[in-house]
Amino acid sequence: MSDQPAKHSQVGPTQCVGPDYRTESQKPVATVSTEIEYDNVITLPQTPQLIALLTMIRDRNTDRADFIFYSNRIIRLLVEEGLNHLPIVEQTVTTPVGRTYAGLQFQGKICGVSIMRAGESMEQGLRDCCRSVRIGKILIQRDEETSMPKLFYDKLPEDIADRWVLLLDPMFATGGSAIMAVDVLKSRGVPEERILFLNLIASPQGIKNFATQFPKLRVVTAFVDQGLDEKNYIIPGLGDFGDRYYTM
Amino acid sequence: MNSGMGLSPIIPDHRDGEDTIAKRAHYSPPWADVSIIGVAGSSGSGKTTLSHAIVNSLNLPWVVIMSMDSFYKPLDPESSKKAFRNEYDFDAPEAIDFDELVNCLRDLKAGKRTKIPNYSFEKHARLENSTVIYSPHVLILEGIFALHDPRVLDLMDMRIYCEADADTCLSRRIIRDVRDRGRDVEGCIKQWFAFVKPNFENYVQPQKNVADIIVPRGIENRVAMSMVTQYIERRLLEKSTRHRAALKSLERGYDSEPLSDRVLVLPLTPQLRGMSTIIQDIDTSSEDFVFYFDRLSCLLLELALNNAQFKEHVIETPQGHNYRGLTGKGEVSAVVVLRGGATFEAGLRRIIPDCRTGRVLIQSDVRTGEPELHYLKLPNNINEHDTVLLLDAQMSSGGSALMAVQVLVDHGVPQNRIVFVTYSAGRVGVHRLTKVFPEVTIVVGSMVADFEERWVEKRYFRC
Repeated sequence: MSDQPAKHSQVGPTQCVGPDYRTESQKPVATVSTEIEYDNVITLPQTPQLIALLTMIRDRNTDRADFIFYSNRIIRLLVEEGLNHLPIVEQTVTTPVGRTYAGLQFQGKICGVSIMRAGESMEQGLRDCCRSVRIGKILIQRDEETSMPKLFYDKLPEDIADRWVLLLDPMFATGGSAIMAVDVLKSRGVPEERILFLNLIASPQGIKNFATQFPKLRVVTAFVDQGLDEKNYIIPGLGDFGDRYYTM
Repeated sequence: MNSGMGLSPIIPDHRDGEDTIAKRAHYSPPWADVSIIGVAGSSGSGKTTLSHAIVNSLNLPWVVIMSMDSFYKPLDPESSKKAFRNEYDFDAPEAIDFDELVNCLRDLKAGKRTKIPNYSFEKHARLENSTVIYSPHVLILEGIFALHDPRVLDLMDMRIYCEADADTCLSRRIIRDVRDRGRDVEGCIKQWFAFVKPNFENYVQPQKNVADIIVPRGIENRVAMSMVTQYIERRLLEKSTRHRAALKSLERGYDSEPLSDRVLVLPLTPQLRGMSTIIQDIDTSSEDFVFYFDRLSCLLLELALNNAQFKEHVIETPQGHNYRGLTGKGEVSAVVVLRGGATFEAGLRRIIPDCRTGRVLIQSDVRTGEPELHYLKLPNNINEHDTVLLLDAQMSSGGSALMAVQVLVDHGVPQNRIVFVTYSAGRVGVHRLTKVFPEVTIVVGSMVADFEERWVEKRYFRC
């Protein structure tokens, strides 16, 4: 099918998806996340359920209520995966039936930082997993004259240098504003390795830009798409996330 | 008349997967092999009263009385006119649809659910709606011809004949027909001499010969009553012992055989271990317990949903690009095994807010540990649902899980559409369940070594 607009003809990889006990012929085929060679990028397992959720939010015919609901489900999975990369210590506890359970305890304080406005849509998902988490905000807009991203506003926890930061922005295209946001965080004393950048859909270009500039920062994404169009929108993407979540 | 529909006495189970019959271990729920007690006797001899007295003295939730009145044949227009003129012979064996009765009893004997027709005496017709009977341990069949058909006799465990004086019978009958069935006295008397009396002599009374006990004076006869109840109680005890022994025998091989590939355990990530630590810690506050349990149940349910059926679905994005994705094939519903499964409901609503949810209450007997089915309410068309998530907080021996799956299978849900979801499971339970139902998928938060009491629901509901 070549009804895609001009120059970008790359197609994402396809694969049978489903549980292992089913045979290939029992599993439907879908486009899955593009392979990425950087090991600081964590892509969620390409389960049929995740693909179905993404299909829902990519579909132009999905209404806002459904868009919000299904986005939130993916965001919660992203947050759950992101939290796996926080430091831990061993801890043994006694269970209600009197057994000992060799478990662990989370170490280190965290906070969320959302890149306004689309990143704010991910705050609910974060709060669903981490009650009363501190959340900072950064406003970055494209400068009309230079068409470069420009920092307009930030409000971050005072002790952010002592925290792990979950940086939130759903669409990771060129990564222009995310790079600026990371620079802001670093200028406040947050080391790169304590930043986790959570996004729903990433582009290979954005991931490459990040990996070269911030090799120690970890990116957690649900799906790596095929590429960018001439206006730097992700292909196939899902449109303007902020508009679809907040105003459309 | 006997050769009826030519059914073989054992009704084959059509739902078995084609290739799994050989490997499959058998589980027989306690309601398979229901004990059927027949109570026959003349009209007005006190059959109904006796049956109710037996039920009351047993005081068990699994005893059902089935009246043969439900099995009157639907009348054609001419017979119907006769019936309204009190000229139709309701007291002859020909008025009863014995084929239908035998089918129902055979279904129940095989542990299946069955539909009992509803007969209206006012309209002399079967009503549209029927009554569903499922999983009784004891069934009392009462009716003037309860001991008439040899096929029915073969299915019975005990045959009772109620005897009463003819005058008593007639007076009771008049009172009942006038008060409850909308007849007039003259009609009743006309019927008595035209039909009831001759039929009694020809067909009802001879049933004495096949009865195990003949009970004169009905419920006033204390000795007979206690004989009957003691016999039933002994039968139930035998059945319970057999059920528990059968459950035990399914354990074989649990520590040597590997888990089936349909058992999916949530990957033990640092987050999962951290959450489990909080959940398992006896010193965790209730607030935290509920919060982390809900969070974990969402992860379990997301994992469970990967076992639903999906189909390919190409969509167009707002920018006009195509994406080759997936969409769910059909409805996903849930069945909560009470009380434990109800701990998953908050998580379930976060993932599928409008999920149709059935409920099954299975309790283990305090003394014997035998699981018992107390209550059942399922969505009507559950057999058409694409995936049914069966939820229970914990599974250790697997007794209630086996029973819950059996209930779904009996309601027409194919095994391979059932996903059993539990927070923790013991190897014994998982082994038993996969032995009996190899096509059921089991999604587990964490595997625990052996039997564990049900502490999760206690913590979650705080009692």
